[in-house]
Amino acid sequence: MFSHYIDLSWRSFKRTPLVSLLMVIAIGVGIGITMTSLSVYHMMSMDPIPEKSDKLFAVQLQSMDEGESWWSPDSMPYQLTYRDTENLLNADLPFKRAALMKTGFSVHLNSDKVKPFLEQTRVASRDAFDMFNLPFINGGVWSKEQESSAAPVAVISQSISKKLFGTSNSVGETFYLDDLSVRVVGVIEDWKLHIKYFDLNNGSFNKPEHIFIPFSLIKANEIDTWGNTNGWKHEPVKVFNDKLQSEKFWLQFWVELNNASEKRVFEAYLENYIAEEKKAGRFTREKAEYKLRDVNQWISYWEVVNEDNKIMVALSFMFLAVCLANILGLLLAKFLRRAPEVGVRRALGASKKQVFFQHIVEVGMLGLFGGVIGIIVAQVGLFGIRQSLSYYDALANMDISMLMTAPLIAISACIIAGLYPAWLVCNTTPATYLKTQ
Amino acid sequence: MLKMNNISKMYQTEMVQTHALRDFNLNVEEGEFIAVTGPSGSGKTTFLNIAGMLEPFTGGEYLLDGIDVGKLNDNQRADLRNQKIGFIFQGFNLIPDLNLYENVEVPLRYRGIKAAERKRRIEQCLEQVGLASRAKHLPQQLSGGQQQRVAIARALAGEPRFLLADEPTGNLDSLMARQVMELLEQINRDGATIIMVTHDAELARRAPRNIQVVDGQLADFTLYQGNPNMVVGA
Amino acid sequence: MLEIKPIFNALLRSKVGAVLLLIQIAITTAIVSNAAFIIKDRLDYLNQPTGYEEENIFKFNVMTFGTDVDLIQQVDLDEQMLRAMPGVVDAVQISAVPLSGGGSSTGFRLKPVPEKSKSVNASYFETDEHGLNTLGVNLIAGRNFTEGEVVLNRDYSKFPKVALATKALMDDLYPGEDGLGKVIYMGDKPLKIIGVIGMMKGPWLKIENRKDKSVLLPLVDPRKLHQFLVRTEPERRAEVMKQIENAMHTNYSKRVIQDLTGLDVKKADYVAEDRLMMRMLVILISVLVLVTALGIFGLTLFNINKRTKQIGTRRALGARKSAIISYFVVENSLICIAGLILGVCGAVLLGQQLMSHYSVPALSNLYVAVTAIAVFLMSLLAVIGPARRAANIDPSIATRTI
Repeated sequence: MFSHYIDLSWRSFKRTPLVSLLMVIAIGVGIGITMTSLSVYHMMSMDPIPEKSDKLFAVQLQSMDEGESWWSPDSMPYQLTYRDTENLLNADLPFKRAALMKTGFSVHLNSDKVKPFLEQTRVASRDAFDMFNLPFINGGVWSKEQESSAAPVAVISQSISKKLFGTSNSVGETFYLDDLSVRVVGVIEDWKLHIKYFDLNNGSFNKPEHIFIPFSLIKANEIDTWGNTNGWKHEPVKVFNDKLQSEKFWLQFWVELNNASEKRVFEAYLENYIAEEKKAGRFTREKAEYKLRDVNQWISYWEVVNEDNKIMVALSFMFLAVCLANILGLLLAKFLRRAPEVGVRRALGASKKQVFFQHIVEVGMLGLFGGVIGIIVAQVGLFGIRQSLSYYDALANMDISMLMTAPLIAISACIIAGLYPAWLVCNTTPATYLKTQ
Repeated sequence: MLKMNNISKMYQTEMVQTHALRDFNLNVEEGEFIAVTGPSGSGKTTFLNIAGMLEPFTGGEYLLDGIDVGKLNDNQRADLRNQKIGFIFQGFNLIPDLNLYENVEVPLRYRGIKAAERKRRIEQCLEQVGLASRAKHLPQQLSGGQQQRVAIARALAGEPRFLLADEPTGNLDSLMARQVMELLEQINRDGATIIMVTHDAELARRAPRNIQVVDGQLADFTLYQGNPNMVVGA
Repeated sequence: MLEIKPIFNALLRSKVGAVLLLIQIAITTAIVSNAAFIIKDRLDYLNQPTGYEEENIFKFNVMTFGTDVDLIQQVDLDEQMLRAMPGVVDAVQISAVPLSGGGSSTGFRLKPVPEKSKSVNASYFETDEHGLNTLGVNLIAGRNFTEGEVVLNRDYSKFPKVALATKALMDDLYPGEDGLGKVIYMGDKPLKIIGVIGMMKGPWLKIENRKDKSVLLPLVDPRKLHQFLVRTEPERRAEVMKQIENAMHTNYSKRVIQDLTGLDVKKADYVAEDRLMMRMLVILISVLVLVTALGIFGLTLFNINKRTKQIGTRRALGARKSAIISYFVVENSLICIAGLILGVCGAVLLGQQLMSHYSVPALSNLYVAVTAIAVFLMSLLAVIGPARRAANIDPSIATRTI
C-alpha cells in the first residue's frame, strides 16, 4: 500500500507541476538557508576532543587586587603569570599538566636549500602531547632531563618535516629557529582542529601550530610571546626577567583530571598554593578565587560561537516558519481542489485513515525532495561563506550528521504543515463532491 | 420593454462553428410572466445569458428599455445589469461567507446606495420572502427553498425592471418548488416582469406565456389567459 | 471603500487562509525591520572614515634571525632605502599597524601612577618623526616631533618626553579644554602633547571607545619581529610592493619578509566577519520577501479558484471589473494590515531581544515603519495579478450548473 501511495503522490505532483515545484523550492530554500547557518553553528560548537573533553581543564587564578576587573564574564583573567605557571607545572602532583605559549620564528636551514619562512611555534611542557592526543609518527616527546636542562629540541608536524627535509623521518635532523639551532626529537601528524580550544586568545578558528619546543626555553632563551600580554597594574618591564617576575598574564595552563576526586585534590592544592603566595604579598584578595573549566565549558565561556552566528540561526528558523506557512497555504489549495477525487475514493471504500495517510505520504515526499534541494542550496551557501573568510574553510561544511539532518527537518516540517490540510480533506463528506453541482 | 431582433450567437472553436442562437426575435412587455422551455442544448441558457447581458451576442439587436445593449462597453453593461435585472439562479449562488442581510446587500452596494436606504430595502425584501427573522444567519444554515427565497429577495432589492430566473426550482423538492412558484406568482401580480427558464412542464404551464427554444430558434406559444387546455409545444 | 465591512465579516468566517498570510506577513515584517537595521549598522561600521589613504599604504613584517646586526641601525638603513625608492612618499618602522586588529593599548592618565587619576584607554604607536607623514593623517594643532625628540631605545634608560595624540583622546582627558600643550601620563612617565591629530583610527575598529583614541610616541624599539609602513603615490603601490622583498634582502639577507599587505586588505580581513554577516542578512531578507510575495500570489490564486462561482455571481449582479479587483485588493489589504500590526509588535520585541542578548543597538522606529510600508506595497503588487485574473471571469459562469 505504501508504494501505491508513493505512486499516487508522484502522479499528483505531475498533475500540478507548477504548484508542486513552487512548494519544493519554498521548502528547499527554507531548509537550505537554515542548514547553512545551522552547519556553521554546529561546527563551531562541536566538541573538539570528545574522547576526553570532560577530563581536560583550563586553569584560571584570580591574582589581581580587589577592585580590579577583567573583560571576561566573571572578571577572571584568561591567562596566567609566568611565576604561577612555573610553580603549578613543577608542583608535586600526580596529574598531567601542560603550560602553553604561542610564539614564532623564522625557520631556516642556514643554507640555500629551503627559503626561510616565518612559522608560528608553540612552546609547551612535555605532557601536552599526551594530554591533547597528538599521535607521534616518528620519535617521541623530549625527555624530562631535556625539559629541565632547556635542551634545544623540537617536535615538528609531518608537513613541516616534509617541507624542511623532504621526509617525515627526520628525527635527529637539525634546523634553525631564528638563530637557535634545534634538533628534531619527534614528528607528529598535523594537528587538525576546527577550534583552537587550548589557546583562544588570538583567533579561535586559526590553525594549530606545527612546531613545538620545550617550555623551559622561555626562560633559558628569553623567548617572548606572540600572543597577548595583559597587565592590570603598572609594571615597568626593562629586561626579560622583569616580565618573568611580573604580574602580567601571558601563558595558558591545562591540567588532566580523570574524575571528581582528582578534581577535588587539585582544587585543594590550588587553595593551598594561593594561601602560600599570599604570604609573599601576592593574591591580595580576601577570598581565594580560582576556576577550572573543562573543554566545552571553556569554549562556551569564551563565547566562541559569536553573536552573529546565533542571530543567523534564529533568523533562519523564523524564515523556515514563513516557508512552512507558505507551504501550508499551497497544500490547502491543492488538497481542497482535489476534494472531488477524494470523494470518489471514499465512495469506493477508502477509510478516513487511508485518505489521511495517502496525503501524509505525499507531503512526506514533498519534504524529501525539498530536503535534497535544501542540501544543494546549503552547499552553495556554505561555499559562499568559505569564499569570504579563510578560517571558515573547515567550519563552513556539512558533516554527516548535518547531511542527515537536512532531509529530516524537511520531512518533519512538511508533515507538520500537512497535518491540517490532510485532516481537512479526509473529513469531507463524500457525497458533497459527488454531485455535479 | 425588452426587444430582441434577429439575435444570433455563434461560438467558434478551431474547426467548428456552433450556432447557439439564430434569428432570435422576442418582444417582452411590462408585467409579463414568460416561461422559456426547450430540450437541453437548445440554447435556452444562451438566451438567458444574452438577455441578462452576461454574454455578448454576435449578430442582431437587443434593446432594453430603448437602450441598445450592443453599443455598451463592459462597465456600462455591468451597471445596466445591476439596475435593470434581478437574477435568480438554479444553484441559488448565495455567497457562503456572507449572512442573509449581507447577501441581499451585494447588488445594492455596487449601485452606491447609501446605508440607510440599503437597510430599508433589504429589510423590506426579506420580509417579503418571509425570512426577515433570520437575517443574520448564514446560507449554510438554511434549507434549499429558504436559500432560493433569499436569492429572490436579493433580486428584488434592486427594484429591477424584470427578473431573470434560471430553473429556479431545479434544486428543490416539490413542496419547496411550489412555495417558490407561489412567491414568483405573487411578485408578478404585484407588477414585476418575470422571464423564467425551466424544463419543468408543469411549472411552465403556470406561466401565462410560454416560449420554446428549439435549435437556437424561437417558437412562441401564447396561452390564452387562464386557459389550461392549450398544450405547450412539442 | 464601501466594501470593508462585508469583506471583513467574510474573512472572519473563513479564517485559515487569512491567518496563514497574516503569520507570514508578521514574521517577514519583524525579520526584515531588524535585519535591515543591522545591515545599516554594519554598513556604517564598514564605511566609517578612517583618516587614511588606504589604497596607497602597505605594511610588511620583518623577522630577523641574523645576530650580527644592530637592529636600530638596520632600521635606519632600511628606512633610507625605502624612502629613496621611486613612487614612495614616506616609509617608517612602526610598532603597530592601524586597522589590522593587532597592536598595543594602555590607559593614559592625568596623574602619574600610583596617584589616583582618571585613565582613558587608547592605542599607541612607537615610531619616529616620519610616522605622521607615512600615516598621512593631519595635525589640527601643534607640530610633529623633531628628529631630536625621538628616543632610540638601546637600553630602556630613556623615554620620550613628548607625544602626538588624537583629539578624541584629549577631549576625553581634558573635556572642554584645548589639548595642545597638556601633559598626560603613560604609567609614571609624563608626555607633553605637542601636536593634536584630527582623525585617525587605531588598530581595533570594533572597540567603540578606543578606535578614535591614539597616541604617537617618538620611540624606536625594533625587536626581531618588527613592522614597516609605507605610503606610495597614487597608483604606484603595486609596483613598489613587488620590489620590497628583494630590496630588503639586498640590504640584509638574514631575515624573512612576511605579510606584505595593503592597508585596505588588512582592514578587509579585520572586518570580514561583519561583511559576511551583512551579505547573509541581505540574502535572507531578499529571499524572505520573495517567498512571502509568492505566498500572497499563490494564496490569492487559490482563493480566486475557490470563489469562481461567487465572482461570476457578483459580476452577474452588476459588479464592474474594477469592483472585483478592488474586492481582492481590499481583502488582501485588511489581512496585510492585521499582519503588519502583529509584525510591528514582533519587530520591536525582536529588536529588544537582540539588543539585550547581543550587542546590537536599539532598533530605530524608522526602519520598522519603512519596512511595514514596503511589505504593504509588496503585498499589493503580489495581489494585483491574480485580482485582474479574477476580474476577467465571465459572468456567465453564474448560470453554469457544473
